[in-house]
Amino acid sequence: MNTPGRSRAFVRLFAIQGDWNYERMLGIGMGWAAAPLLDDLRTGDPARHTAAVVRSAEFFNCNPNLAGLALGALARAEQDGVPGEQVSRLRTALCGPLGAIGDRLFWAGVVPALSALAIAAVALGAGAWAVGLFLVAYNALRIGTGWWSLGTGLREGLQVGGAVGRSWLPRAADRVGPVAGFAVGLAVPLAGRWLLGGLAPTEMVLAVLLTLGGVVLSRWGGTHYSAVRYALVVLVLLAAGGMVMR
Amino acid sequence: MNPLDGGTLLLLLGWGTLVAMDLVSVPQAMYARPLVAGTVAGLICGDLMIGLQLGVLLELFALDVLPVGAARYPDHGPATVAAVAASAGAPWPERMGTAVLLAMLLAVLGGWSLQRLRHLNAQALHGRAAALAAGSEPGIRALQWGGLGRDALRGLLLTALGLAGALLLRAFPPLPLRLQAVLGAAAIGCALAAVAGGAVRSAGRGARLHWLIAGLAAGLLIALGLG
Repeated sequence: MNTPGRSRAFVRLFAIQGDWNYERMLGIGMGWAAAPLLDDLRTGDPARHTAAVVRSAEFFNCNPNLAGLALGALARAEQDGVPGEQVSRLRTALCGPLGAIGDRLFWAGVVPALSALAIAAVALGAGAWAVGLFLVAYNALRIGTGWWSLGTGLREGLQVGGAVGRSWLPRAADRVGPVAGFAVGLAVPLAGRWLLGGLAPTEMVLAVLLTLGGVVLSRWGGTHYSAVRYALVVLVLLAAGGMVMR
Repeated sequence: MNPLDGGTLLLLLGWGTLVAMDLVSVPQAMYARPLVAGTVAGLICGDLMIGLQLGVLLELFALDVLPVGAARYPDHGPATVAAVAASAGAPWPERMGTAVLLAMLLAVLGGWSLQRLRHLNAQALHGRAAALAAGSEPGIRALQWGGLGRDALRGLLLTALGLAGALLLRAFPPLPLRLQAVLGAAAIGCALAAVAGGAVRSAGRGARLHWLIAGLAAGLLIALGLG
């Protein structure tokens, strides 16, 4: 696989959700990112190239940070002349596992862990440096993962599923959950103390009661509850009540 | 309060648009997180501390969100930029409760606009169905750039609306001190409820729950130790 094609595809991975829609989800973004990887076919096998471009923009969905694995594997399969139906089957088969591992690793693991650590650091006086460190750490991790994903996909082709299973990804997804749990637990009291500093005891009691009420509602309030809805109702009621009592 | 001049508002408008696009479209570098969006908005407004405070507060709401697949979720980024613009220069927690109220309304509107965007992207897809079936690379490129352009417009409009709301809030005389403090405390309580509720839900009953409790205990010890 030519290096310029790989680099261009890698850069395009950052906008893989640029045309996210309910019909093909990441499909168009995948097609756009795949174009540089399919360039070789254009001169070598134009008919195959056209068919590969059609397939490249079909329905696809997974965690965007792991999309490179599928992108690379599918491009490699097209380059290797794998039958079209098999390429489409691989595409479908990769959606679930890459979505599940990626979401557990990034959305339920790395992001809350780093964000909560940054909150705790800000609350302890680190200031804007903590925010900068959060950005650097997250992006170093996702850029590294993205480059590794694309390279692994291109190298493994149809065998990418096995390669993912043997890689560091499943272990990392398992381990980052507890780290995120600890970090969020750590951040809650520290953020509370920092934000409530300067308020009178009665207001602190109000904040604690609303916290407990929200947690109870989120546990047993069913699908009607959302944190934003809760905040809107509470703030509007208090503001209206306060204005009436003026 | 610090005045928000035209240059500052333009910078905030640009920043809010970039923040809105970062949530899903490009580049998902996490500057759409309220913690980052608020800190930079605070820098732009010349009030870093309010940016950090509102950034932390609204980040607690964002930690409750799991942005997976086709899930519907609020867009906290431009909402945070507007909230910081609404309260920059005011002493904490003056105007904080009303700024959070503005942010919540905008976050809901932002989430709704994201759903509309996804439907509009699907409509554009139908318009180019023949090109896609023929394997047209220009067709794919046009759809991709069209989607990015629509999201930029969404972010721009959302931020503009938020900044208009912020200017309106700044134009009003502040609420009585007691009411401001109550609203501020309520906003903080709701934010803590959001992050704690989300953490308990996602922890399940396994190792993550044990580590969550351990973290909570460690945080409480540090907080109590700091006095």
